[in-house]
Amino acid sequence: MNSSSLHLNLLKPTERRSSSPIRLRVMLPICAILVCAGLLCWWGMLFTNLMMAKTQASGIEEDLANKGKQHAEIIKLRDEARELKLQLEQLDYYKAGVRSVAEPLAKFAEIVPMRVQIKEMSFSPLPAQILQPPGAKAPLFGPTENVETQKLVIAGLTTKETPVVSLMESLSSGFEKLVTSERKIKSFRQDNAEAEGRKLLSFEVEYTMPERRFAK
Amino acid sequence: MNGGVFDNMAPTAKRSFIVTIVLFAIAVVIYLFCLQPCEAELERTKRSLSELQDKQSRMNADLKNAGTVKKDLEELKAALKLYQDAMLVPLLESYAMRAKTLLDPLILGAGLQDVQYNNDTFRALPLPNPMPRQLHTRAAIKVNATGSYQQAISFLLRLEKEFPLVSLRQLGIVSQASPEHQALTFVLEWPAKGGLTRK
Repeated sequence: MNSSSLHLNLLKPTERRSSSPIRLRVMLPICAILVCAGLLCWWGMLFTNLMMAKTQASGIEEDLANKGKQHAEIIKLRDEARELKLQLEQLDYYKAGVRSVAEPLAKFAEIVPMRVQIKEMSFSPLPAQILQPPGAKAPLFGPTENVETQKLVIAGLTTKETPVVSLMESLSSGFEKLVTSERKIKSFRQDNAEAEGRKLLSFEVEYTMPERRFAK
Repeated sequence: MNGGVFDNMAPTAKRSFIVTIVLFAIAVVIYLFCLQPCEAELERTKRSLSELQDKQSRMNADLKNAGTVKKDLEELKAALKLYQDAMLVPLLESYAMRAKTLLDPLILGAGLQDVQYNNDTFRALPLPNPMPRQLHTRAAIKVNATGSYQQAISFLLRLEKEFPLVSLRQLGIVSQASPEHQALTFVLEWPAKGGLTRK
């Protein structure tokens, strides 16, 4: 005869217990408590950091406020120094463009040949500065070009061409502050004036002068 | 989870489940209303702290360099004074009259005669970048006189020696009947104060 075991379960569902040693009804609240505690700890740490940062910030703000007046004075001095430096820079441009020609002009008197009479000597006028370019709404404070070039015009009378050639040769060295090597004979013709019973020749030579460079 | 399962749970399990739910709800509340705002606030504070620290370090560096700034300023003022002393300043609003007071001793010393002083066109100087607030210009005075070439050169030599920042912009020597009385024209340039680029 087969023996069959009879499994009789008289427990109500609410009376059933888990056979596991880890009971979910205990572990779940513990986990939840741990999560809450962890979050509170995290919050605590953040709050502490926040307070520390705020304290540090207010300390720095106080320090900045204390040094503010002194710092403002330094900033003012620094701005003044910057302004003076820029003014100085512009005045240095002026200095760079200063022309010193008295000595070569004094020397010029020594090289004029006997048979040459200088009638006129002049620097050509400068072209007008354009500080209101077409289309500009307001005039410019300064020129866009920083170089100026002028011509030295020497006009005179002579008896023949050789003294003029001699004068031009003499001017070719030792007069670098006054003239460059660039020159143009603008006219050379017979004049109405007479000397020693013969007609004189008039000449006009134009030399390019060294550039005046208004720059550092 | 449907109602049947919950109804079939043991009372202790039910209590445990409810406690767990409540605790998780509390955790969510803590996260949303405490942690997140605190974290955002900390972030903002750190940013502002970092800006303040930068500002403080810049300020400290500026204060530390105060001596250098003052020294630089003194040097710049000294360098500028050389120019300021050489500048043409109007006399009773007349540049020509100021030039006359400066140049008359030289002109008379050189022996030039019939001297006339007039203002000539002022020319602007090139600008540094950035522009200074106070600009300077090339003030020009036209001097007409009569005299010999030697006298004219004598005047120019004295001028360059006495006023090294005065520049000869234009020269005109036109011979006349007498070589002692040639027609002389000088346009002389001085540095002078110009306009303001801003108020």
